[in-house]
Amino acid sequence: MTASHELKFESPSFTKRLKGMLGVDFYRLFHTPMFYIFLAIAAIIPAMVLSMTGMPGPNGEVTEPLFTNTWQIIAADTPLYVVSDIGEYANMNMVFIFGGIMVSIFIGHDYKSGYVKQLFTTHAKKQDYMMSKTLVSAFSMACMCVTYIIGGVAAGILSGTSFDVNVGSLICAIIGKMIMSLGWASLYTFLNIIFRRYFGVSIVSCFFFGTGILIIGAAAIFGNSSILNIFLYGSSVYACLSGNILTLLMCIVCSVAWTIIYNVIGTIVLYKSDVY
Amino acid sequence: MKLNAIEIRNLSKSFRGMYAVDHLNMTVPVGAIYGFIGENGSGKSTTEKLICGHLVKDSGKIKLFGKKHTDAGVRARVGALIENTGCFPNSSVWDNLMMQAINLGLPNRADEIERVLKIVRMEDSARIKFKSCSLGMKQRIGIAMALLGDPALLILDEPINGLDTDGMRIMREILVDITKNYGCTVLISSHILGELEKIATHYGIIRQGKMIQEISAKEMDSRARVFVSLKTKDMTGAKAVLKGRYGNVKEEDGYLRVYDVGNTEEIVEHLMKNKHPVREIFKNKIGLEEYYVELMSKKEA
Repeated sequence: MTASHELKFESPSFTKRLKGMLGVDFYRLFHTPMFYIFLAIAAIIPAMVLSMTGMPGPNGEVTEPLFTNTWQIIAADTPLYVVSDIGEYANMNMVFIFGGIMVSIFIGHDYKSGYVKQLFTTHAKKQDYMMSKTLVSAFSMACMCVTYIIGGVAAGILSGTSFDVNVGSLICAIIGKMIMSLGWASLYTFLNIIFRRYFGVSIVSCFFFGTGILIIGAAAIFGNSSILNIFLYGSSVYACLSGNILTLLMCIVCSVAWTIIYNVIGTIVLYKSDVY
Repeated sequence: MKLNAIEIRNLSKSFRGMYAVDHLNMTVPVGAIYGFIGENGSGKSTTEKLICGHLVKDSGKIKLFGKKHTDAGVRARVGALIENTGCFPNSSVWDNLMMQAINLGLPNRADEIERVLKIVRMEDSARIKFKSCSLGMKQRIGIAMALLGDPALLILDEPINGLDTDGMRIMREILVDITKNYGCTVLISSHILGELEKIATHYGIIRQGKMIQEISAKEMDSRARVFVSLKTKDMTGAKAVLKGRYGNVKEEDGYLRVYDVGNTEEIVEHLMKNKHPVREIFKNKIGLEEYYVELMSKKEA
């Protein structure tokens, strides 16, 4: 046996472990077409929504435009949890719906290919997996937010929609929503861990939660209440064009809190369940 | 105290109330090629998955190199090929290996990938997409992945299944090479006992989730029954003659086997006296396959 093959077992530090796992996930993300397809989808959505507003209906009647300002495609004017028209709903929050599908495909392939077994063989600490997937998924969704903005601005320029806005509030809204990517990513990672044996169920559940239908339903019953901001969808809606630094703070607190909760529960689930 | 690569005590794992692994004990010495044998559903793969942390045990202890199997340091040096290679089909062989190299935090990743590809004789196939590889190539890629990062322990589940004769030979050479030259311990399960016999230094025989025997190849060799195989023109007549003198005579694969007798001259002389000239004769020892079958029938009885 050569010296390099001595039986030494140095425990890798948390940073080294996470770096390894993150490295794999980022390598995979950048080397597969899925990531770029979803970036393109995120860019196309606002362009499609904006181009459809104000289009004549089937009988030639001119419909009321959904947006009077380009930035409304990024965030609503005020935090309205009760949705009365599609214009109040169709903004950058849609990235989180498509992001959920992307995360499901990303994690689903880990299990489908069996690569997850390689990861768990060499990584005894399962929190590495949860954290890495959450961070990479959050990064992907944040990138989708960027392409969404680019798509929205391009569509706004082409359609000649107004760009008037309070720049400070706009920045708070954009950064707030991008920060919410972390919380959403942790939820989707958690759902994919729970339904890891059922790829279809993972996608459907991510889509279901991503639409925020539960919060919209709750708001329809209880009205527009700021208590809804403690939920991911609530805070995502709260990051709007009338936002300020407190909005940003709320997004940070909500996103980080849910990330911790989902990561802790997800790790426990991974420790207590078998990998197939 | 001698260090064991794997030490399992009273390991149990059940699925819906049925024990797949039932209070299993296992000891794999450092540097061994441990042949893990058992019929389908006997608990081989489940044991391997428990060692790798893919399954959660019900009870028992698993130690790898004297440390808990959940120790991050030990597990970072375990390579496994269980059920499938765990590669992404649309990625190239190189990309798949690169991901594993990154996962392990290896420096000089490209060199390391080239090294393992050379070991598995696949230097020229690095750019092929994984899904385009043949079964034999996939198995070798799986071994290459497991070999990345200087593993101290390799766990291989049926790595020679589906391989052609040449593929089996290559795999055999690889396994011997990595234990001799890289100081790796190998736990390998296989149904192809003839192949396993050529490389294994130790055996563990499992049945219904329980280890029924652990034995070194040397020990098995010394315990193995000796027999003489022969052919004559009149096999039935010769068999009757031999049965009159020797206790255990059987006809198998077109040969008469006289068990527990080492002296061929004595047998030839006896047959000649009874007018049964011998056409072919040779001394032999029962192999792993027969040893296993014999052991299983004893257990069933």
